[in-house]
Amino acid sequence: MSKTNNFIFVVLHIVAWLIFVGLCIEAGALIVNFVYSLFKPEIVAYLYEKLDLSDMYARSKWAYFGMYSFILVISVMKAVMFYIVIRLLIKLDLAKPFSSFVSEQISLISYFTFSIGMLSFIARQTAKNLLHRGYEIDQLYKFWVDSQAFILMAAVIYVIATIFKKGIELQNEQDLTV
Amino acid sequence: MPIIVNLDVMMAKRKMSLNELSEKVELTLSNLSILKTGKAKAIRFSTLEAICQALDCQPGDILEYVENK
Repeated sequence: MSKTNNFIFVVLHIVAWLIFVGLCIEAGALIVNFVYSLFKPEIVAYLYEKLDLSDMYARSKWAYFGMYSFILVISVMKAVMFYIVIRLLIKLDLAKPFSSFVSEQISLISYFTFSIGMLSFIARQTAKNLLHRGYEIDQLYKFWVDSQAFILMAAVIYVIATIFKKGIELQNEQDLTV
Repeated sequence: MPIIVNLDVMMAKRKMSLNELSEKVELTLSNLSILKTGKAKAIRFSTLEAICQALDCQPGDILEYVENK
């Protein structure tokens, strides 16, 4: 592999770690906020990233817990997805990339990406529904603004995973050709 | 698999060990072993040619087709 490719991989690795740490911090803060809000409801006005859901909480606790659950699950899934990306980058051997482990990880990433995209889409539709009922949901849009991008990415990664599986078949056949 | 490799039979007839054959055909021991144990999925003509030359035999002496029943 050329020096440029190796350099790109190192940079990708560092970027993946930075994003993973950022997502972990976000997911952790959201979890702590959520647990704390169960015991001290006054905290819902001072949530992570200046999120204020006090009106929603006052009008309907179910709406608050529903919306917050969406936010929480999506952020945790993003962190887990990047953990899989890091695990893939660590174990990927550029000399022999076509292994079943790599194929499984790419498939996992595509499933997670699709799930995040679908959940974000459902959350956005639910938020729209709440808007029609008079709830303030402007602050929530930032948590699922990229749902369509995730679904598109899932489709692309799925195609890559399928091609990778074919590559593994070809490599296995090549390995057993004398 | 319907194609059987009778490499060990020919090697015994020519009194040649796996190491010797591996040196003559310039194939690694592990690849020869894959061929000998019937795990190979394909064989290159160049490899078949080298083996036939080393063992002084025909491809039919090494490869045999047995129908699956």
